[in-house]
Amino acid sequence: MSDAVIRREEFGDVVVLHITTTSIDAVSATAIEAACVNMRPITVLDFADVAFINSAGISALLKFVVSARKSGFKLFATHVSLHHQKIFKMVEMSRFMPSIEDQDLATYR
Amino acid sequence: MQRVFVNIPSNPIFERVVRASAAELGQAVGLQPERIEDLKLAVSEAINNAIDHGNPQQQHKLIEVTFLLDTEKIEVRISDQGQGVGRVDFSRKVVEEQNLESGMHRGFGMYLISALVDDCEINSSQSGTTLTLRLYYHKDTTP
Repeated sequence: MSDAVIRREEFGDVVVLHITTTSIDAVSATAIEAACVNMRPITVLDFADVAFINSAGISALLKFVVSARKSGFKLFATHVSLHHQKIFKMVEMSRFMPSIEDQDLATYR
Repeated sequence: MQRVFVNIPSNPIFERVVRASAAELGQAVGLQPERIEDLKLAVSEAINNAIDHGNPQQQHKLIEVTFLLDTEKIEVRISDQGQGVGRVDFSRKVVEEQNLESGMHRGFGMYLISALVDDCEINSSQSGTTLTLRLYYHKDTTP
């Protein structure tokens, strides 16, 4: 199930989790949460294909935050739209999952 | 005034239908893209709230959605067939460190609604609850 919503890309200590569903919502939340496995010291959630996130989706994403913190790993977000940056800031999600730019991520390759 | 009615069963998959309708209608009245995103999210939260708390575990019960379009605003009324609610908390909710471990991650919905629309109100009785959202066109539209 998780393969349907997340595509993994790994290099070194990094895993980039490309979210392939366009809606992170109550319908996709279970599959998103199920993809929260085998995180790496640097885990990046890629929102390039994500058009919509609601509070049910944010709750699912928080599972990655909790998992990363338990493991002492760093969690980043990339390709977050301006609207979703606003929403993440409103609920202070960005405090726990800051954005990383492509050029900064490239230094790990 | 123009009215658009969308009734859905209390199943989260149909929230996407209402959200898509909100996007189309927001575009039709000339809302700016960012405001359309705000409308979609507010409507989504309201629908999920109606499904989760208004008609919990009762998919046969309908969520009735009415979009009202006039020259100054778009209004959305979301009604469930539940037994009513008490006081509704629209206060700001954020991700809190102490709640991360417990999994208490919900509760952002009403805060997001109140922050993203121009005004909202709740009317509740023992036969159901109606949440009304309004976005005014202000300067960013050509109604």
